[in-house]
Amino acid sequence: MTAYRLTSGGLVDRGANLDFKFDGKTLTGLSGDTLASALLANDRLLVGRSFKYHRPRGIVTAGASEPNALVTIGKGASTDPNTKATVAELYAGLDARSQNRWPSLKYDFGAVNGLLSPFLGAGFYYKTFMWPAAFWEKVYEPIIRRAAGLGRVVLERDPEAYEKCWAHCDLLVVGSGPTGLMAALVAGRAGLRVILADEDFRLGGSLLAETTRIDGVSAQAFAEASLAELRSLPNVTIMPRTTVFGWYDDNVFGAVERVQKHVAMPQAKLPVERLWRIAAKRALLATGAEERPLVFGGNDKPGVMMAGAMRTYANRFGVAAGRSVAIFSNGSAGYQAAHDLAAQGVEIAAIIDSRSDVADVAPAGVRLIQSGSVIDTQGRQRVSGIVVERSGFEETIACDAIGMSGGWNPVIHLACQRGAKAVWSPELQTFLAPDVGNGLVVAGSAAGRYTLVGCLADGAQKAAAIAADLGFSAPAEAMPVVEEDIDPSFTALWYSPGAKAKAFIDFQNDVHVRDIGLALREGFGHVEHAKRYTTNGMATDQGKLSGINATGLLAAMQGISPADVGTTTFRPFYTPVTLGALAGTSRDEHAAPVRKSPLHGWAQKNGAVFVDSGLWYRPAYFARSGEKTWRESTDREVRNVRENVGLCDVSTLGKIEIFGPDAAEFLNRIYCNAFLKLPVGKARYGLMLREDGMVYDDGTTSRLSSEHFFMTTTTALAGGVMSHMEYCAQVLWPDLRVRFCSSTDQWAQMAIAGPKARLVVQALVEDDISDAAFPFLAAGIVALKGGLKARLFRISFSGELAYELAVPAGSGEAVADAIMEEGRAHGICAYGLEALNVLRMEKGHVTHAEFDGRVTPDDAGFGRMVSAQKPDFIGKRLSTRYGLTAADRMQMVGLKPVEADQHIRAGAHLLREGAKPSTLNDQGYVSSACFSPTLGHDIALAFLKSGRERYGERIVVWDKLAGADVVAEVCNPVFVDPGNAKLNV
Amino acid sequence: MTMPYISRHPLENRLPLEPGIRAVDHMDVPRGTAIATVMAMDGEDAAVAAGLAVAGDMSLRFVAPGEWLAVSQSDTPEGLCRNLSLLLAETASVFDQSDGRVVLRLSGPNVRRILAKGIGIDLHPAVFEIGTSSNVLCGHISINLARTGENEFELIVMRSFAESLFDDLRLMGREFDLSADFSAQG
Repeated sequence: MTAYRLTSGGLVDRGANLDFKFDGKTLTGLSGDTLASALLANDRLLVGRSFKYHRPRGIVTAGASEPNALVTIGKGASTDPNTKATVAELYAGLDARSQNRWPSLKYDFGAVNGLLSPFLGAGFYYKTFMWPAAFWEKVYEPIIRRAAGLGRVVLERDPEAYEKCWAHCDLLVVGSGPTGLMAALVAGRAGLRVILADEDFRLGGSLLAETTRIDGVSAQAFAEASLAELRSLPNVTIMPRTTVFGWYDDNVFGAVERVQKHVAMPQAKLPVERLWRIAAKRALLATGAEERPLVFGGNDKPGVMMAGAMRTYANRFGVAAGRSVAIFSNGSAGYQAAHDLAAQGVEIAAIIDSRSDVADVAPAGVRLIQSGSVIDTQGRQRVSGIVVERSGFEETIACDAIGMSGGWNPVIHLACQRGAKAVWSPELQTFLAPDVGNGLVVAGSAAGRYTLVGCLADGAQKAAAIAADLGFSAPAEAMPVVEEDIDPSFTALWYSPGAKAKAFIDFQNDVHVRDIGLALREGFGHVEHAKRYTTNGMATDQGKLSGINATGLLAAMQGISPADVGTTTFRPFYTPVTLGALAGTSRDEHAAPVRKSPLHGWAQKNGAVFVDSGLWYRPAYFARSGEKTWRESTDREVRNVRENVGLCDVSTLGKIEIFGPDAAEFLNRIYCNAFLKLPVGKARYGLMLREDGMVYDDGTTSRLSSEHFFMTTTTALAGGVMSHMEYCAQVLWPDLRVRFCSSTDQWAQMAIAGPKARLVVQALVEDDISDAAFPFLAAGIVALKGGLKARLFRISFSGELAYELAVPAGSGEAVADAIMEEGRAHGICAYGLEALNVLRMEKGHVTHAEFDGRVTPDDAGFGRMVSAQKPDFIGKRLSTRYGLTAADRMQMVGLKPVEADQHIRAGAHLLREGAKPSTLNDQGYVSSACFSPTLGHDIALAFLKSGRERYGERIVVWDKLAGADVVAEVCNPVFVDPGNAKLNV
Repeated sequence: MTMPYISRHPLENRLPLEPGIRAVDHMDVPRGTAIATVMAMDGEDAAVAAGLAVAGDMSLRFVAPGEWLAVSQSDTPEGLCRNLSLLLAETASVFDQSDGRVVLRLSGPNVRRILAKGIGIDLHPAVFEIGTSSNVLCGHISINLARTGENEFELIVMRSFAESLFDDLRLMGREFDLSADFSAQG
């Protein structure tokens, strides 16, 4: 036995045993443990295998910077890989497995990599697996990925619930140690809305592991009293288990709250994790400081741990990291650890100090070796001794754990996430946060003020300044009295000279000193290059422990200051965030909203098969019994509309009500064709251009009164047209007196089309809708029998006699039902998008399949519609550009296969007969194609160079995707009723 | 052929016709609310606002500069539009949106926490005061949000999005057992 549970002490509940599993073996911990402290209490030092060499690795830290103790927690689809055992809160039933080992942690086949390590230096893979090139993706990379790497991701669907939430505050305090608590107290008492967030499940930060007394009570009692007061303040929100991972624009912080990661059976009504976006007027970073590892030979064996982590395990968790502990230190912190462990009855094998003439005092009876260098460690799967070198004299000292302390690094990650670079402090021998303005202020140890007195005072002062800045008054308060303060002094030591074994910098990525040296020699000495070349500081810990030593060594190797080397770039996230939390509830049916037409129920009743159309669900076709394919239903619907009558839901079209004395003038400028003199009671087809002269959108607009127009847009661009109009009204022509609003959702709108349409509509409408009274393109308000007011438009997309009837949305289903009932005698059918599309292609009508942003009005055959008289309209100027008026532009034509049983598909390209398929020979493309039930063969709309001059020509429809070349005849795009005889009846 | 065209509420598939048991946090869905868009003509913003302020029997929701939704629980859509048109005459355009918008009323001690799951603006009563309203996003959906009491909010959403918003709100309120039904008073 080496590591063990102390008989007393710690903030664990010794009455609450928790059984958990590690690699299948049941172990027992205590409530208040982390998985790491519970493993140590069970003397499980070996917790993982390293990334590259598969070296045995143990717990190094007691927090979020842990590089080694990465485990997989959970079963089946609820598996979380790469969880740090040092922050995983223990619960009964927790099931953890070690990673990166096969067949077992103790006997790992991959450890053979360690024997090969002379060949596996930095850059090895890139240099070795260079050819053949195709092998990289197919052979080398999969093998390397299997051998190296961290935990395995689970590909099953994640059954857990996640959510996102917003929060707002005057002051966000990140970290609940002495600095954060004091800041939250000062700001909270002054009345600020404060959020205090901490990643730990128990708040208090470093106070939880301190042995000194504050205001006459233990540091833990002081923290608890402070928290109790904060909880009593209604303006303070305390968020435990919440990692603030990112700092974004407008002082918004990203945080993830582990709501139910510490329970075996999550409640269904709560998420397991909640992603917070915290909009903070000010933020105070009280994230403390990280103890710096020492780089010495054999420093990666299980049992080598941060001295501060040993203190935390002893004082907070009541766990001793070993029975005989050697301390290797370059500053006072190592002595503190020695004193605390000695006080708990742990033997201190020796203190090795890299400095000479030190003032620090070792515990009574403990051997102190000054000016010592650790050059190796003994033991295989755990430390059994330490080799110390002093002036050429080597000595082995037996021990079962080694605590290392290399000084302090402020945790400044968040402050550096938005581009500002960390600043080297020669006095503190570390990097400090840059000045990033008053939105984010760094305080306490995170600002290099490491003493408890310094932390408490800095937190209080900076919170008071923020309060004053925001207009609150914070009364000056007496500072808590600290009995015995910590001494943070140290002398930087980047490398313990004379290493006889690999001296690791980055434990997680297996980067050791020689790798950094190799990077430097091979020209990758820039800190960012060295990171990529060696992988130092990559993966889940992002260099929290290793970054500073890599910089220090790169500087030391070149004989320059770390200030000239700098740090790598800090980016979100501070610690890994699950994809589930980032997605929140936006998955499955909540991934995007569904828009439903007011006629959705009517369509369902009539057997609609729906299709996504943007956010809308629209009926694609209405299947009847016996119909096996969509084509059968569609063909029937098309024939029925041509022969009898059909009803189609067109409620999804964008609808805009336009009011005002200048509404006509506004429309005249928005559309390329004339609208100024549109009579009241008339509808007109309108074509909207972009400024560059290309068609933007089309639709019909009707004049309901002199100052009230009703515009329809395509479904796809309803929102875009509205924005475009807002821009025009607010920015381009603010002098025009016009107002408009969307009425898309107010109206249920249905097209009733077919030779019998009038019979059906007249049966419902009081007003006379005969051709004489209500001719083609008439528009107006009518009364339905029974009194309901409706809008009626005589417009046709199908080419048949057709009406569009709009009624208030709530009544839509009832009216559609009535039309179907009335139409039954006339053979009415419901028809969907597919039939709508076939009908309009047969008539040569365009949609956004044609108006794809590259098409001018003339290309589509609307050249004569573009008004030459109007002084201006959107798109007028650029319409006259040479390229837009060139004679060889592609023009819309119809195509029909020369052999009637051949098929044409949209997207196919057009070639002259005999021409080789190439971009140079491209003559155009097919924009829409379908089978025409009316004609009995395929038809297509296509854009062909100078197409309108080429009716009758044979052209090859080249379809590489379908592997078919079809010869087609170029023709007029209006296949059905080119003389419009059916419209004017 | 004469038919009394029955009007359907878009949440009829989601809610029982009869009121159920209310939790402390509740979503109340009024069936018949008269809603109209009021758009002031250029230069008439202040006059229209003043006119609307004295109009009884309706609440106003801010949509955009010079644009409001007028909401009435007691008036009919036709009545509301008629009254507004008479009141505002040439200074504003009025358009009936009663069928195009759906009203959802949330009340209860946790409503702010529920809404914070979808709405990014600060709903603290000192910031978003009683009587305030604004167009905001709730998750993916644009709504008009009004604070009608310390713990009472009214959401107005476009009809086509009503079911999706309702489903989202149920999910957001799951933690607090949010209940929902149609208003008893119709």
